[in-house]
Amino acid sequence: MVELDSGRARPPGGGEWRSAARTRAGTARGGTGRARLRARASVVVLVSLVLAAVLVPMLSPAPGLVDYTSVRMPPEPGHPFGTDTSGRDLFVRSWAGLRISLLVAAVSTLVSTVLGSAVGAVAGSFGGWVDRLLMRVVDAINSVPHLLLGIVIVALYRGTVLAVVLSIGLTHWATVARVVRSEVLGLRNRPYIDAAISAGAGRWWVLRKHVLPAIVPQAVLSAVLLVPHAVFHETALSFLGLGLPPHLASIGNILGDGRAAVLLGAWWIVVFPALLLVATTLAVSGLAAGWRDRAVPTRRSELSL
Amino acid sequence: MTRGPVEAVLESPEEGGALLDGPSRPLLSLDDMSVRFALGGRRAGETVHAVTEARLELLPGQVLALVGESGCGKSVLASALLGLLPANAWLRGSARVGGADAEEDVELLSASEQVLAGRIRGRRIGLVPQSAATHLTPVRTARAQLAEAVRELRGHEDDGDVDELAGRVGLDPAALGHYPHELSGGMAQRVVVASALVGEPPVVIADEPTTGLDRPLVDRTMDLLGELANRSRGVLLITHDLSAARRVATHVAVMYASRVVETGPADEVFDRPWHPYTVGLLNALPERGFEPIPGHPPALTELDALEREWGCAFCRRRPDTPGVAACDGTPELVSYGTRSVAAHPPC
Amino acid sequence: MLRASGLVAGYERGKRVLDGVNVDLPRGGVRGLAGPSGCGKSTLARVLALLQRPWAGTVELDGSPIRGFRHAASRRQRTAVGVVFQQPRPAVDPRMPLRRVLEEPLRASGERGVPERVAELTELTGLDGELLGRFPHEVSDGQLQRACLARAIALRPRYLICDEMTGMLDASTTAALVRVVDEQVRVEGTGVLAISHDESLLHAWAGDDVIRL
Repeated sequence: MVELDSGRARPPGGGEWRSAARTRAGTARGGTGRARLRARASVVVLVSLVLAAVLVPMLSPAPGLVDYTSVRMPPEPGHPFGTDTSGRDLFVRSWAGLRISLLVAAVSTLVSTVLGSAVGAVAGSFGGWVDRLLMRVVDAINSVPHLLLGIVIVALYRGTVLAVVLSIGLTHWATVARVVRSEVLGLRNRPYIDAAISAGAGRWWVLRKHVLPAIVPQAVLSAVLLVPHAVFHETALSFLGLGLPPHLASIGNILGDGRAAVLLGAWWIVVFPALLLVATTLAVSGLAAGWRDRAVPTRRSELSL
Repeated sequence: MTRGPVEAVLESPEEGGALLDGPSRPLLSLDDMSVRFALGGRRAGETVHAVTEARLELLPGQVLALVGESGCGKSVLASALLGLLPANAWLRGSARVGGADAEEDVELLSASEQVLAGRIRGRRIGLVPQSAATHLTPVRTARAQLAEAVRELRGHEDDGDVDELAGRVGLDPAALGHYPHELSGGMAQRVVVASALVGEPPVVIADEPTTGLDRPLVDRTMDLLGELANRSRGVLLITHDLSAARRVATHVAVMYASRVVETGPADEVFDRPWHPYTVGLLNALPERGFEPIPGHPPALTELDALEREWGCAFCRRRPDTPGVAACDGTPELVSYGTRSVAAHPPC
Repeated sequence: MLRASGLVAGYERGKRVLDGVNVDLPRGGVRGLAGPSGCGKSTLARVLALLQRPWAGTVELDGSPIRGFRHAASRRQRTAVGVVFQQPRPAVDPRMPLRRVLEEPLRASGERGVPERVAELTELTGLDGELLGRFPHEVSDGQLQRACLARAIALRPRYLICDEMTGMLDASTTAALVRVVDEQVRVEGTGVLAISHDESLLHAWAGDDVIRL
């Protein structure tokens, strides 16, 4: 791989150059290569998962197709993931479920990240009473169990996808706000912020030009960590009958349906959809780790003089 | 520096360790050592010339000051010796750390991480880092940190060892019970120097050890480093601070744009510099005229072309310096007795 | 005149380092300020640059008292006092190439002719123009400090606080930056406070006009 990587190109002139990387093989210093590899593998896995989630349900018969002649069939060539308690093909249904769950999780994560980042950034950089007020709101939200609060919100607009998105999004921004605020507080006393203030930069300028670019990696990271969490919330809501309508094949609905079947020995109803969820989670977090490395220029280049 | 005939004889393995008196074998010898960085991303294809064909020797008892402007490559040289370069670095030539005889010599540039970690760092080469404050762990006392180093490098634990180390760097053993933030800058610096001495390394590398310290503290740290050089130990002092270097250095190497351009005994080089760059640096001192060298150092990515055209990379920046011989265009160091200079023979 | 009287100040929730300090900084000259490390030189620099509120005492800028510090001071007041810190690396945003570092004061104040002024500043401070597209970690301390000085004088401040500006630099870069500042004094009539622990530097720079803390 060394020859293919432009960052490791051999210097011109003479073949007697030794790479500092080769002599250090197997140490922490070789880590950048592995991290890059991991990020690339994550991209490949994630793209395949998303493509499959989009294409498989499109190219196959409707996932809702009930067939009571073949309920709880273990995996076999015709049904690679087996069938569920209503005889529906789990292969198609799992991919369709992944698509819906990811969509709900992604949108609700976006809502909570944008909201949380904005609140955290404003609280952290303005300080004073603004900070105290916003943080009391955050405390209030965090003091109620998220699921309970989510149920209240979803109960107001039952059975719609939007309700589920809002109920997850509006309960999780508080955590993001807290993380972002502490990042901002750490930034506030940096000499380069002092220099900007002295150079005449106003509050909004500092927030836009220095604070936001610095917290984006952290915000993205906490957003990524929220995605699987949001899927679990969607699952819990659906399980309680308050989530997505039962005809929509979300991972939550499938797992909810399969819960009882596991006791009858039909492990595949839970295992395959859960595997898809785990693979997606790992791929997304691998991608996030690589992205965080790229976002800081000092980590981008290996040279600093 | 070229080796005198006596030192050349001592290079042979059978006689090297036997002679205890007289000029000893070099503790550290760099031979045509070069370091390049291959850039990636936006600047893929460019190569940074950080160190070019460096030839240096450190003998016991010497304090060799490596001086030059920031970004000339002197810190990269230190990192290369300790195997701390990033993965995009390329190395050529050799850098030997001398043992009792040639069998014990270790070539640092090709040594594996295992050898460097197990036999070199702390044991053969001690490092005094740039900032004492960031080098010490804030949550443990100075004594605990020294004791850990003693355990690691000497294989046993003994409070007496720690007290003895403290005494050697002029530190009151009672002060060792403090946490780093409770120590004054000078005391923290002493703790760091003491921890560099734990493995009794024959070579101590101090990389900008006085950054951010005030003048009295700089002087004290320098004196401390000067005292480390003895019959069996030498100090490589990397610094941009000429006054500090002048205070303790027995020998000087001046680095400009990745090359060592002048070496020699400290008082001779400081009093009668040969290379126009050394002249320029000395004239920039507040007490010596406060005259900056015009222009700026060349980009380290363009040194190849610059040297092809000019030979001496400095002469395009400042072609004529009064009292300095005209450039003969060869960037390699040429020796004249105990001193050596690139491109500008003594006049 | 930038005047501080009876200043008492310290670290945030920390110990007091300035206790009743008086400093006058007239325009059109360089005044040295000497003192060992830990004596409060940097705290004084931050107060004079309106970046830190003193616990007690007053700061007067050209005859009018300063009531707010940091963002509570008006833009006109803040940009009247430029500041250069000892360490250039933490003083620049690692995500900004040098060109944006130089542009910041100009753009934040809505100045016209930004590219022209940046070119002028580059020339003035002896910054290598080819480095403007580089990120801070890609240039040396010396070049970075030139950029910091360029940023500090971009809006032609009436006063300039150099807090150990050359503490990390080699002799040649030190002498070069001192020349740049002296040129500002000559051309713009800037009042400069040169803070350093290095007596020989202050003597060569400010002559006998050195106060001790």
